[in-house]
This record gives sequence, C-alpha cells and structure tokens, in this order.
Amino acid sequence: MAWRRGGWSCRAAVAAGSRRCRAGTIEKTAGRETSDDRAEDPGLRVPEAAEAERLVQQAQQLQRIRAPLRRFIACPQLARTVQRCLQGGASPGPRPVLLECAPGPGILTRTLLNAGVRVVALESSSAFLPNLQSLENSLDGQLKVIYGDFFRLDPLVTGTVKPPAVCSDKLFETMGVAAVPWRADVPLKIFGILPQKKERNTLWRLLFALYECSSIYRYGRVELNIFISEKEYKVLTAKPGEVRAYQALTILWQVGCEIQLLHMEPWSSFVTNLKNGGRAVPKSTWLPNDHLCLVRLTPQQNLFTGGLNPTNSSTFIFMVKQCLARPKSRLTDRLNSWSLDNGGKLLRELEIPDNAETRNLYPEDYRRLFEALQNSNMFAETWFHDEVLDSIRNINL
Amino acid sequence: MGVSGALSLLWARLCLLWGLRGSRHPVQQRWGIPWSVLRNYSSASAKEKARRNAICERTELLEVLKARVKQLQASNVPEMTVNKVDLAPLGNDKYQDLLEKVVAPGPAEEQPTPRGRGESPARPGNWVEKLKKEMYIRQLKVERKLSIAASRLALEGQAKAKPKRKDKAKAKAKAEKRLKRPKAKVAAAESQSHAGSRNVYARSKPMVVAVKEAAKAQRPQRVLKNKDSSQHKVLQQTIQSNLECFLFLQQPEEAERFLLLYHRSPVKRRLLNTNAYNIVMRIWARKGCLQRINRLFSMMESVGLQPSLDSYAAVLECMGRNQSCTKAIQRCMQQLKNDGFHVDELFQKCLFEEDEKEKVLRAIRIVQPNYQLPPPPSPQTCKSSLLRDFYSKEKMVSYPKLDFSVQELQERFQQQLEMELNNTITIESVESTKPLTPQAIKARKLLATLRSRWHDSILQALQKSKHSMSKLKTVSGYNILYPYLCLLPDEEYVGIMLQILNTLSPQGESLAVLARELGSKVYNRYITQRKLRSRQLEKVQEVYEDYIHLLAKDSQPDEYLPREYWEKLVAEAGFGPSLNLKDCSWPYMLIMRLGMHMLELLVHAVKVPRNALSPHLEHKLIPVLYHVYSFRSSWQIGLIKPHPIFSQIVSDAAETLLTFNSSAMPMLCPPVPWTSPHFGAFVLNDTKLMRFVDGAIQHQLLLEQCPPVNLHPVLDALNQLGNCAWKINQPVLDIIISIFNDKGNEKLDIPPPISEAPRPPATPSNSSTMNKSQKHELLLYKKKTAEMHSLRMDALYKLSIANYVRDKVFWFPHNMDFRGRTYPCPPYFNHLGNDVTRAILLFAEGKPLGPKGLDWLKIHLINLTGLKKRNALQERLEYANEIIEEILDSADHPLTGRKWWMNTDEPWQALACCMEIAKASRSPDPAAYISHFPVHQDGSCNGLQHYAALGRDLIGAISVNLMPCDVPQDVYSAVAQQVEEFRKKDAEQGVKIAQVLQGFISRKVVKQTVMTVVYGVTRYGGRLQMEKRLKEIDEFPEEYLWEASHYLVKQVFNGIKEMFSATRDIQNWLTESAKLIAQSGQTVEWVTPLGLPIVQPYYRSKSTVLNCSMQNLSVKSSNSNQKPDTVKQKNAFPPNFIHSLDSTHMMLTALHCLRQGMTFVSVHDCYWTHALTVDIMNQICRQQFVALHSEKILQDLSNFLLEKYCRSGRETRAPWQKKLMEQLSNVPKTGKFNLKKVMDSTYFFS
Repeated sequence: MAWRRGGWSCRAAVAAGSRRCRAGTIEKTAGRETSDDRAEDPGLRVPEAAEAERLVQQAQQLQRIRAPLRRFIACPQLARTVQRCLQGGASPGPRPVLLECAPGPGILTRTLLNAGVRVVALESSSAFLPNLQSLENSLDGQLKVIYGDFFRLDPLVTGTVKPPAVCSDKLFETMGVAAVPWRADVPLKIFGILPQKKERNTLWRLLFALYECSSIYRYGRVELNIFISEKEYKVLTAKPGEVRAYQALTILWQVGCEIQLLHMEPWSSFVTNLKNGGRAVPKSTWLPNDHLCLVRLTPQQNLFTGGLNPTNSSTFIFMVKQCLARPKSRLTDRLNSWSLDNGGKLLRELEIPDNAETRNLYPEDYRRLFEALQNSNMFAETWFHDEVLDSIRNINL
Repeated sequence: MGVSGALSLLWARLCLLWGLRGSRHPVQQRWGIPWSVLRNYSSASAKEKARRNAICERTELLEVLKARVKQLQASNVPEMTVNKVDLAPLGNDKYQDLLEKVVAPGPAEEQPTPRGRGESPARPGNWVEKLKKEMYIRQLKVERKLSIAASRLALEGQAKAKPKRKDKAKAKAKAEKRLKRPKAKVAAAESQSHAGSRNVYARSKPMVVAVKEAAKAQRPQRVLKNKDSSQHKVLQQTIQSNLECFLFLQQPEEAERFLLLYHRSPVKRRLLNTNAYNIVMRIWARKGCLQRINRLFSMMESVGLQPSLDSYAAVLECMGRNQSCTKAIQRCMQQLKNDGFHVDELFQKCLFEEDEKEKVLRAIRIVQPNYQLPPPPSPQTCKSSLLRDFYSKEKMVSYPKLDFSVQELQERFQQQLEMELNNTITIESVESTKPLTPQAIKARKLLATLRSRWHDSILQALQKSKHSMSKLKTVSGYNILYPYLCLLPDEEYVGIMLQILNTLSPQGESLAVLARELGSKVYNRYITQRKLRSRQLEKVQEVYEDYIHLLAKDSQPDEYLPREYWEKLVAEAGFGPSLNLKDCSWPYMLIMRLGMHMLELLVHAVKVPRNALSPHLEHKLIPVLYHVYSFRSSWQIGLIKPHPIFSQIVSDAAETLLTFNSSAMPMLCPPVPWTSPHFGAFVLNDTKLMRFVDGAIQHQLLLEQCPPVNLHPVLDALNQLGNCAWKINQPVLDIIISIFNDKGNEKLDIPPPISEAPRPPATPSNSSTMNKSQKHELLLYKKKTAEMHSLRMDALYKLSIANYVRDKVFWFPHNMDFRGRTYPCPPYFNHLGNDVTRAILLFAEGKPLGPKGLDWLKIHLINLTGLKKRNALQERLEYANEIIEEILDSADHPLTGRKWWMNTDEPWQALACCMEIAKASRSPDPAAYISHFPVHQDGSCNGLQHYAALGRDLIGAISVNLMPCDVPQDVYSAVAQQVEEFRKKDAEQGVKIAQVLQGFISRKVVKQTVMTVVYGVTRYGGRLQMEKRLKEIDEFPEEYLWEASHYLVKQVFNGIKEMFSATRDIQNWLTESAKLIAQSGQTVEWVTPLGLPIVQPYYRSKSTVLNCSMQNLSVKSSNSNQKPDTVKQKNAFPPNFIHSLDSTHMMLTALHCLRQGMTFVSVHDCYWTHALTVDIMNQICRQQFVALHSEKILQDLSNFLLEKYCRSGRETRAPWQKKLMEQLSNVPKTGKFNLKKVMDSTYFFS
C-alpha cells in the first residue's frame, strides 16, 4: 500500500521497485529492467497512482447514473508488471495488436505504448474518452481509441446495437484485424479485467463463442489475457476430484484452452470507481480469493480435430454440464438417466470404471467420451438434440 | 382483574425464582405486565442482580443436579426394564399406584402451590427444572464421552457458560409469547363468561381463568416457541404426522417404539410435546390398554410435560372401553379437575373420532349416571356496523329456494359423494367423437400392453422398496417414509404413479412439481380414508340430509343462513366440534420426500422396448423417463421428460379418456357451507378457506385465533357465492366443440390441434450439422408447438368437463386468497375463465326478464363488443336496436351468416347474448320470458375507484366514474391523452423515440399498465406490458421496441401522478408504513372492515436441501420463523390493501343481494346477476360502496397498526419506533369529493 501514499514518479518507483515489490515478482522485475528502460526512452509520462485514482474519481463524478463497479490499474509499477507479462512468451515474428479493454485512466496504456506495443483501447465510459483521445492524437498511429464495451460484445437482444455495446465484426474491422485460420498464429491479444459481477457469465459467454467459433473467435485463436478473481482461477485450473472447484466450466476451459497463470496481485492494488474509494473485495467461502489472477487463455490449436467441431460442440457442452450438474453422481447413472441404452459397454471400451463419479473424470476423458458417443450415433436420438437446443437457448439468454 | 391476578401469581413466582425484591410489585398491577416484567428483567439493575445471583444460582443448581442425578438414575432403570420385559397385565393396585404418581407430585417438586397446566415452557418452575435436567444430562455425557451425540450438541465445552445464556433465550422467547397473549386472553375470557358459574371447585377464580387462558394459548405457543429454528418445528410436525400414521394404521407398538426413540434421547426428546404423547395414548385407548396409557402419563411427567384435555379424553375413553371400576374413573376425573379442566370441556373442545365420544361418555356416566352433555354454545351474531341490517333478526327473510325437491337434492348429494369417494373421475373428452384411425387402434393396443407391464413393474418396485425399508426399522428410525407407504393399499400408490405418467407432457416437468403432485395425491387419499374411518363422513352425511331442507323447494321456509342452519343442525345432533378432523396436515418437506421417493420408483421401474415403433432395431428395454438438468442463469432445475417413443405412442393412441381429481369437477350438489376455517366446500376433499402458498401457515393460524363470530360475514358471503347453481349453454357449447374438433380458430380463442401447427423447418438428416439459423428456426418451431400443446390441453380440459356436466345442474364451491378475494375451487372450468368458458355458463335458475330486462341484455351485448364504450347507456341501447338485424343473423346462423359476433371483444359471450336476445325478442311477451342469462356489471378501473374514494380525490373520482356524468369517463383514454401530450412535447424537442412513437399511443397500449399501476406494477413489469402491446402492432418498428416501451412506461407513470394526487399520497403512505413495519422485523397485518384478519405472507425464503438419491432438491420454505421480506412487504401492501377493500365491497354486495333474494356471483370487480335484477344489484352495489367508504377506513387502519406495532410500554422507545409511530399516525389528508354522489353515478359499475 506504500505506493498510494508515495509521491514519487514512475522512474522512482521502478528504482525502488526491488524493495517494495512483492516477493514473488522481484526477480522478474530486476531481470528485465534494462531492456524496458530502452523501450521507455521516448517516454510518455505515466501518471502516478494517486493521480490515477483522482482521475477515476473525477470520471465517476461526470457520470449521470451510477456506473457499475469497475477496477483499474492505477499503480505504474503494477502496470509495468502487467506489460512485461503481456509481452513475455511471445513467439517470434510480427507482434499482434493488443486490444486493451476498459483502460480507464490509461496507466497501463501509456506503459504499453512506452514499451512499443501497438494498442487499441476499447473504453466504455465516455468520461475517460477525451483523455485517451488526446493521447491518440499525440501519437502517430500507435494507439487507436474506440468507444465500446468489450463485455457487451455482440449483445443477444434483437434490435440496433446501441453504444457502448459493440459488434465484433465492426470492432475487428475498425481495428484492421482480419480473420485467420484456426491453426494459424494468434491474430490478436486482448487484455482486460473481468467485471466482478459478470465474471462467471462472461466466462461462459466466451466459452460458447470459443466452441462455436463465433464472436471474437471467428477471427482465429484470439489470446485472452484477463484478470479474474483467484476463486474463478481455482475453478478454471481445478483437478478432477477437487470438491467444489472442479466444475463444468473447468472441463470446458481446459479442453478449449491452454491456461497459463501470468501473475497474481492482491485485490488492494487495484483502484475502483466506488465513491468512497473502497476496494470491494468479494468474499468467498470455499475457495481462496485473496488475489486477482492474470491468466492467459490461448485456444488449443487442435481443438477441432477429432470428433469435435463448431457445429456439434454445443452437444459437448451440454453433455459436460449435465454430467457435472451433480458431481457426485456416477457417470453410468447419468448415461442411464438419459435413456441411452448401452452406456455401460461404452464406458468399458473407454476403460472408464463402472463406478466412476462424474467429478473424477479428466477433461480429456470427457472429450473421448463425447467422441465415442458421437461415433456410436447416440446423439442422433431426437430428444438429446432437442435438449441441446434448449440448453443453448437458456444459456445464451 | 381476574387475569391480572393470575399474572400476579406468576409474577410472585418469578420473583421467588429470580430473587427479585417485592419492590416491583406496583408494576405488575398494570395491564401490560408481561411485557414490563421482562423489560425490567433485562434492565440494568436486574442485570446486575442477575450477575450477583449467578454464582449462588450456579451452586444451587449444582446441588439440585446432584440430587437429580440420583433420582434419575433410580427412575431410569425401571423405565428401561419396562421396555424390555413385556409387562404382565397389571393388577388394579399397581395401576392405581401409577395414577397416584400422576396425582401427587414427586417429593422433588418444589412447588407447593397449584400450577397452571399446559403452559410448561413458560412456567418458571418447570423450565428451571428442565434446565437442571439438561445440565445433568450434559454432565453425564461429558463423563461418558458419548461422541456420537456430542457432535450434535457441540456445546459441551461451553456447558458452564450455558445456563445463563439459556435463561436469557428463554426469557426472550417468553417475551415474544407474552406479547401475543393478551388478545387470546381477552377472547378466552369472553368465551368463558357465559359459562362462568360453573366454578364450583374450591379454587380461586383468577387461577381458573389463568388456567383456561393457558390452555387456550397453548396452540399459538407451540408454534411460537423455538423461534430460532424452523427446522425444529418441521421435525415436530413430522413426528406428529408420523404418529398419526401409526394411529391410522392401528399400530400401537410401532407408535410407541417411535415415540421412545425420541423420548429416550435427551436431544431428540425436546422435539416431543404433549400432543405426541396424546396420539400414542389414543392408539392404546382404542385397544383398551390402560396400563400403557398410564405409563405414557408417567413418561410425560418425567420430562416435565403436562397432560392436556386430550390426554384425559384418552384415559377416559380407555376406561369407558374397559368398563373400569368407579374408583379409577373417579380418581382420573379428580385429577382432571385438579389440572384445571372441566368435564364439560371434553365435549366442547375435544375432536372425537369414531366411537371415542361414546366411550368417554360411558366412563363418565359410570361415575355420574345422570351426567348430561353440556348444551351447545348459543350462536353469536356479528356486530359489524356494515351488516347490522343484514344480521338483524327482525328483517330476516327466508333463504332463497332452489328448484329442487329434497329427494332430488339428496340424490345429487349421493352422486357427489360417490365421485369424491372415488378420488378421481374419468370422463370422455370432447375429442371422442372423432373417428378412430387404424394407427390409433394399434397404438392403443400397444399402450394397453405396456401399461399392464408398467403396472406390474411399479408394483414390484414399490413392494421391494417397502420391504427393504421395513428391514431398516431398528436403525435409528430413519425409515421415516415407511409408514406413509403403508397408509393406502399398494394398488393405490401404483395407480397414482401411473396417473402421473399419463399426464406428463412431452416437454416434461420439473422434478419438484411432480414430487409435490405425487405426495399430495397420497395425502389427499389418506385424508379421505381418515374421514371415512373416523366416522366424520357419516356425521356430515347426516347433517347434510337435514341441511338440504333449507334449500329445497318442497320444505318449510327457514329463516336461517346456510351457515347458521348447519350450525344449528350440528348442535342439535350433538356432534359438537367433532365434525372437524383433528389437524393432521403433513409438513411440506415430507410431502416432497414422499413424492421424490415415488418418482424415483417410477423412473426406475417404467421401461419401454427401444424398438416399439421401429421394429428393425434390436429389442432392448430403455427407461421411459429420463432425467436432465435445465440451466437458468445460476440455477439448475432437474426435469423429468418422457422418451419421445413414449410421447409418440401416446399421441398416436389419441386416447379420449381424461382423468381428473374429483375436486377439479364442479359439485353436483350445493356445497357444504363454510362454518369454520377448516370446514366447508366439498364433502370429502380437503379444502382450505384461504388458499396459501406451500408451507405458509400464517393465515391459517390467524384465522384460528380470530374469534369465530368475526368470520361470519366472510363465511356467509362465500356460501352465498357457492350456492349459485349453474347449467350449460348447450347450443354455444356445441358450436365451440365443433370448431375445436375441426381445426380450431386462433382468432376466436379456440386453440387449434397440434396437427395444425406450421410444418417443421426442413432439417438436414444429421441434426448436428445444422447451422445457426436452422437451429434457431427449429427452436422457434419447438417453442410454438409446446405452446400450442398446452393451450390445446387447457381448452380440452375445460370443454370436456363442460360437456360432462352438460345436462346437469352444478355448483362451484368458493374459497379465497389471503386478501379475501374469492375464487371458485374447481381449477379448470369455472366462471372466472376466459371468454369461451364464460360463454357456456348459464344460471340454473331462470327469472323473467321483466320490463327492463331485454334492454339490459342489449346493453350487455354492446358492452361485450367493446364498441360504444364512451357512449351513454341509452346510446348503447339505440345502437343495439340499430343493428338488431346483425344480432339476429348472428344468433340464427352463427357459422354461416354474416358473422357479426366474431368481430367483437368477447365473441363467444357476444354470440351467447345474441342468441338470448333473439329468443327473448321473439317470445310473445319478452317481459315474461324466462332468462337464465347472467348480465355483467363491471367496475371501471375498480382499484382506482377505491383509491379515489379513500382519498376523496375529486379529479380522480370523476375520471373513474364515481361522479355522475352523462357519458362514461374513461381513465385509460385520459391517461393515453396525457401521455400523448408529453410525447408531442418531447417530439418537438427532437427526442427520437418520441418521434418514432407518433401515432402509436392509444388507449389499448396504456390500458394494462394503468390498470395494474394501482396494483403496484413496477417500471420493470410495466415495460414488459408495453413491449407486448407494441409487439402486437405490426407496423411498429421492432428495433425500437425496448426504447419505446421504456419511454412509454415512464410517461404513463407521470401521467397518473398528474391526475391522481391523493391516490399517490395514500399509496406512498401505505408503502412507507409497510416498509417501517417490515424493517422492524414484523409482517404487515390488518383487518378488513368485515373483520377478516389478513397477514402478508412474504418472508425471506430459506431453502432447505432435500437429499434424494436421484437429485438434491432445494425446497424453498417460507415460515414465520424467518424475517419478513421487506421489499415484498412494502411493495405489495398498497395493492393487497386495495384488494382487501374490493373483496369487502364484493362481499357486502353479495350479502345484501342475498337479502333481496337475488342471484349474485362475481369475478372480482365484475358482478353478475339476472337481467331482471340488474337495477337492484346496481343500487346495492353503490349503497355498499358508499357505506364501506363512509367508514373511517384509513383512520381505522392507522389505529389498528398503531395498536399492533407501537403498543409497548411508554418508557424508552427506540428511534425506529418513534418513526414508525409518527408515520402511522400521519394519515394522508383527504380531498373534497362527496361520496354520496356515487349513488347517482350510472357508470360507476356498468
């Protein structure tokens, strides 16, 4: 918390960084300092934390109605950590554009720009726009600012899309990012902090888009770098058998993406737009939830090889959800309760024990199960198909 | 004086126990004592004292404990052995001993003074003792390290800290009890007064009153104690219903084993109350085992429970059965008196079943050969000022007769009884006239074979599961369902399950719904069986046969109301209260659990060959029902769906038999009159006076606590509505059925069959390769067919029932919701239904049209068309005469003519009316034409009418026709106009959406929202309504739907605010009051001007998880132990209050119409009567509206609420209380409207 009180500049913070940083990140910070220094030479001024916080509060006051809870990166030091994480592990070759969702006061934006990254800033609050736009104008095309809300992408209601809701095709057109084949390299990186209230919902919607190859995934294997609560991170990376954490969401994300933890940061490091400046740390009963986790979700290159494809993937999702609706139930019981008649034989072929509970199967097992069921033509049963349709409707609403 | 004397006694004992000084005595002389006692106790000085006393108390306790340990160890041994060794029949001496033990309190009892009975938890002596015992048990346990029970107690470590906390908790619970008391006490005192002289025993009067009061208050207490755990209450209820099961099954050993299971465990024992022991006693009493009953008495004594009146009834019954010796009976009766009861009370209060009463009487007459049953209480009359005329004996007229002889009515009663005894009734559907296809014949055959197979496999599964359950018996008694699966013959359970299977829709149904249905079906049959077994039915039958004389045309006129007459007959027959069944309702959780068990059996047992429809597949049995989850945001709902193969067979078979619960059919004889909240309506089917949501029992409790005389007006009104006889308008029904069996007609609201659904979109052979739009299309198709199916089925049910009773006269028994709004009980076919159902109903009684009747028919017709709404009645009449050719054409050639009737608002009712007009006008003398046709008079925006009258709001009153005007005022048009003005302004200022809406704002668009604003519609709901209306306009651009509806709802709200200012004040006052009341942790209660008590049953729901092997069910339960749901309490109060007023107005009108000998029924704010009597009804309706609103309704409400929620002592008052008081006292000011004007307003109801 020291940085909140402090009045030192960005440079000072870096210099002092080794002392103030959390133990886990010291090494990384120290190791890469030189290269970063070079990138920052042209040097946009990065506002310090207190200033950023003030900017957020000002923006809040400009709003007519109370804006939903948002979190921002205000500390230059955190911004640098994130920037390094985002740039780390990139493959050689041309670097893709980075879409920054809801940059707010623009601390990270400036840090990224200083590091030479091409940034598209997608800001949903008109209060922050002028600042960002003037920054855009002062640069030579390295930054593009768009008014829109990433978390209201491709709204499902019919009718005209009213800003800040955006359509993905419009967005990609504006950004100038073209669709690439699935197996090609990452066409776009996205950074954002998932809105706390919509966290789970957003994860589900992204998942559906991923399996259907729709929305952002129509353009290829878009790489997500998102801050999610530690609780959800635990869910995404849970192992079979972990009580409460191992869920349908776990299986589907693990089958769909490579999941990498880039960084963990305590909730207190982020500034919120609450009037009282509170941190609004959500409570969690069952799982640890002390941090926000920066997670990289890179869609699997081989997701659509084998039996799975964008048209039948909803059946897969349906199947997994049905199985995990009651994690302690036995898989055979589940298959039987669907009136599928030769579930037992199928499981034997897959070498899944008869008494296996649904929560004990690995994500890969579910994929194999699905493929086997697909081959045995079990899903051709009309009722199953209807159910899948129903379930899509319910989830997508 | 008497009561406060009793309290002073209590107080003295409190002082003794707490070591308080007598200095507090002045306080206790006041009436509000119970409250102040506790206030003082918790006040600073008392606390201090308590702290000082704590130490010495503890040492004292320890000493007592030591003594108790010895005592209990001693007494425990025989109890254990008694259980193991089968007792040899005991000699007289021995059981006398036991009885003596009951009579003389043990030496350890510290109270030399006579004790109040039946009030155990509130009695200081008793709870201190109980506490000691608990302490003892805990200590013992610690010593023995009983780990199993330890985990449950989990308090062991704090055992030492515990006593004090416990005391406080108890004191608090007591405070709450006390708060509730005074009302019941007053009632008790009143009801005692007429029998006051019977106090011949050497007892001080105050004590007797106190005892009575305690006995009276017992029931609410039982409910109120243990406020902390609702679980506790559910468990208690479960134990009781379990014991009732054993009683029903006549299994005393089982019952006793079950009771002992709880009795022996110190933890579980707390769940037992006197009632539990009483039930077991009753079972033994029936077997005549006196020594067993004596043992139960001593068991009760050992846990500090006091015998109640029912306990003594059981003993005496047993003695009567055994012809016991005089001495024993005498001793028992002496004990009864010592406990503060009177022999007469047995016959006034106990609900005897079977021959219990005779046996008790026999026992008493052994001792007192000349004993006479107490005379029935003299009937009381309601004193409400609104009904002074109605109940005055001078103006009493004879009750209107039906056009039936006694003989005929008796036959009808027999038919009805037979139907109800069968529980279900199977009738031919209206589709049965269709020719049968070969495919259908084949499918029916297949279905028949399958059904018999399913029957066998379900039966087998049931028996297997029962067998394995009965094995479990010895283990901790957790086979809780077993007795419930034994109540009925196995075949009945199988029948119920098969019935569920038959009615399952292809879309499936949620597990919870199915489970509840299964469970409650079992419950209903059990109740029927109980009524048979307990001879309750016999008694009802006997009374009913006499009761008919009040209604039959060939018997003497009697100047009684149905209720009064019934009560008189019951009193004459000497049945006392025994016509009511003992309360034996099952807890909701139990019904669900039972249902889930049956559902599991069903899912596992029912199978169908996979190749039933496509023979080329290999033969393999697959389950018919499958279980999937449906996901709604964060919820997952378990569904049971039938396999498509099954649905296909069923649909191919096109079976034409429908099975209904007998309570779904209209009654074939006049309903049994309501005489109490438990008794009325159907002969056998259990009907509640007030409908309630699952698990909510607050209304029922409130009704029970309410003095019976206060309910008389409401009961009489319900009886009046239920006594209206109906018949079917056959020509109209035939036309409807012909269209229904043809292709339906969506415009005329006759749902077409599924075969008429649009073709399904072409799909690729492999369904998984569909693209998104194809999927979407398919989805829409599925949705459409599902909708069509449910609409079609609904219409099928209604028409089939109507067709079944087409030649009969029938009745709709009524009950009400918690606000007093009345509803017919049969759910599918009734006069509250849609246009189609209303059109096929006629009054069974015919009356001549009279001089103005034909005109009323014509005006009614024009009203039904929806045309000429803004015109005066005379103009409507002229218009009808103008188009008389069209009307006659419609009547003569409904389907082949010019079809004028089809283009009206309510086409079917219009058609029926056309036919009536045709017949009447063609008759030689229309004035003499006997018409059965109901003519309606509608309140124009009735909610706003009540608001405007409450607030005497002049502008509002004019716009809702409280003021006489030449032409009807239309509030909807007025609002629409206002909104249009707003829109114009906005459009000029360039608001896009206002421009888009140009030309779309009409009366129709705003109507629903305006109508529901009074009933508390929110912006959210209002917007959805608007969206719906706009969607109906084809030209409206779809992309603006959201924005436009949003804009419109805002403007409608503004418009209403502009026009109804006093209304808004009242609404705000009600809302704000409810908010403060709810925030103080209480539910909002009030009493209607007719005396009906109302409580808003909204609590923060708590869900309990029901673990079942198929799926865990989360069952939401709302009960009084939970905090009120502030938002609901607040938002719902204004509409509920207004509804309670409109229901009061309706009931007043109904009762006064009855006095005029008119037929009257209502659909909430739409009143129906014969054309002849429309004028009289209109007059009464206005008179009663004026009378109702001449009462100081808001002031009375304010007084009531102040009395109820702000009546604590005058010392310290919390800030919230002050605020609440201020709010409640601050009744909104009223305007200048002169209420009397309503009398002359033609369009008030029209």
